[in-house]
Amino acid sequence: MSHMSNEDNAAWSRRLTRAWLLLVGLTLVSLAAVLGFGASEAGMAAAAVALAAAFYKARLVLDHFLDLRRAEGGWRAFFAAMLAVILGGLMATYVAAAYLSVP
Amino acid sequence: MSTPTDISAEARADWGALSQLPGNPIMWVLIISELLVFGAFFLAFGVARLVDPEVFRAGQAVLDVRLGGLNTLILVTSGWMAAKAVQARVGGRQGPSRRWLAGAMALGVGFLVVKGFEYADKLAHGHTLESDTFFTLFYLMTGFHALHVVMGLAVLAIVGWRNSVENMETGAAFWHMVDLIWLILFPIVYLVR
Repeated sequence: MSHMSNEDNAAWSRRLTRAWLLLVGLTLVSLAAVLGFGASEAGMAAAAVALAAAFYKARLVLDHFLDLRRAEGGWRAFFAAMLAVILGGLMATYVAAAYLSVP
Repeated sequence: MSTPTDISAEARADWGALSQLPGNPIMWVLIISELLVFGAFFLAFGVARLVDPEVFRAGQAVLDVRLGGLNTLILVTSGWMAAKAVQARVGGRQGPSRRWLAGAMALGVGFLVVKGFEYADKLAHGHTLESDTFFTLFYLMTGFHALHVVMGLAVLAIVGWRNSVENMETGAAFWHMVDLIWLILFPIVYLVR
């Protein structure tokens, strides 16, 4: 993969740093959501926030650190779908668990 | 710009759709297979939790979310440094490239140290691989991931030594995959309860 794109070095640096700051920020948001609301009535919403944050974080790593943004749209859709199946499948098990535990 | 990149792009022409992806196509085959394996593991964890919610609730309550959070911050920062190492190498700045890579590796070691403390604490409190379904899955999933961190450190050491642009991109890609898997593992095992 060649890096002879229109992006100059400074823009590349900014993009990587922005991705890193977003990754740190989303980690803190999901920690706050779960530590703050995980045990409450809003536990399911906290779970949804944590999984949505994981989805977005995984895509940041794919797009910017792994440079998937340079690949054609089909690949990005493929990885997004794979993540959606894993994280969506887990969310389904959480919803089912909450539903089943209600007497 | 650099001849090695052009040659590798040519050599890769026969890889079909994979040749559109950055870095060595074999690494992407590995990334996809690892995601499928860990994905199956994660879904199995969700289903096992569904079957035995009390055991999972009790097990997760013992975990230290802050340690998991700390390790997440360590790995994303390490991934950023690995990306910076590739950027520096592409720009022909070998010294800075190796320093970024060394930083990424140091944080990788830090991740393992935190993991070691965590395991020691859990074991000291009698939570072993055989305690219950939760801890069996906890040790298998995090242990399998930690093994990838160890392999990733070896890969980074090798590409830091033989640091062609192609090698650096491929080695960093492995490291980002390890990061990616942790980003999914962390909320599932530590956060959502």
